[in-house]
Amino acid sequence: MFTLVIGGAASGKSEFAERHAASLPGGRVYLATMEPWDDECRARIAKHRLARAHRGFATVERYTDLAGASLPAGGSVLLECMSNLVANELYAPGGGGADAAVRGVETLLTRCAHLTVVTNEVFSGGRDYAGGTLRYLETLARVNRILALRADLAVEVVCGIPNVLKGAYP
Amino acid sequence: MIFVTGPLFAGKRDYVRAALGWTEEELSRRAVWDVQEQAGAAEDLEALAERLARYEVVIATEVGGGVVPVDTEQRRNREAAGRLACLLARRADTVVRVCCGLPQLLKGTWP
Repeated sequence: MFTLVIGGAASGKSEFAERHAASLPGGRVYLATMEPWDDECRARIAKHRLARAHRGFATVERYTDLAGASLPAGGSVLLECMSNLVANELYAPGGGGADAAVRGVETLLTRCAHLTVVTNEVFSGGRDYAGGTLRYLETLARVNRILALRADLAVEVVCGIPNVLKGAYP
Repeated sequence: MIFVTGPLFAGKRDYVRAALGWTEEELSRRAVWDVQEQAGAAEDLEALAERLARYEVVIATEVGGGVVPVDTEQRRNREAAGRLACLLARRADTVVRVCCGLPQLLKGTWP
């Protein structure tokens, strides 16, 4: 099962995605895409690790090129999050561009039994941004649409409550 | 408690007045709005949510759907507003999101 979870800042999307991914059968892998490049990132990562500590995920860090991540076959993989991965593929040294992010997800789909991808709702603040940011928004939005098209279940999380956009949530 | 959320200027207060048949005066007495603005300064979000949940209706504007702000404080405030909304939704019997004046039921039953 392929699930796409979208939500704004602190919308409860991670908690929902973790609960969902943990409810699916097989070993649980948390594929983390945030590069810890300052204290704020490190604090955020620590907070997320603590929040999911009881759910039995093995954490694998991978900032670009998901196809190169070593993951056990089968199982339930939670990828968090697409907004970081796309930024990494676009801007990090060795990044392969937005298409590499999509290809990475496609590779994961062939390897795991259940994939849950978290992405960010960052598109409701208008378009009054400098060129680079606007291009990033457009690219992430395109990736989101490609994933939503492929997904069996697409859920927007609003204040912790799932709002189903596609498919049926049990 | 009924928690009403939605984007800026979406008609959240108008919806509450219409749905509950309240006057402006009743709204200002029985409801509290723009609570997202209280989140950033709150020492304890749980305590704030607890206090706000004593109102019959709590209204918050969604502010977490734009690009992550570069400014640290703006980023922190936005994060706190989102957390507060999650805490309020958990305490609410009913959650309604209003978009373009149109209500969507997220939790509970229609008021």
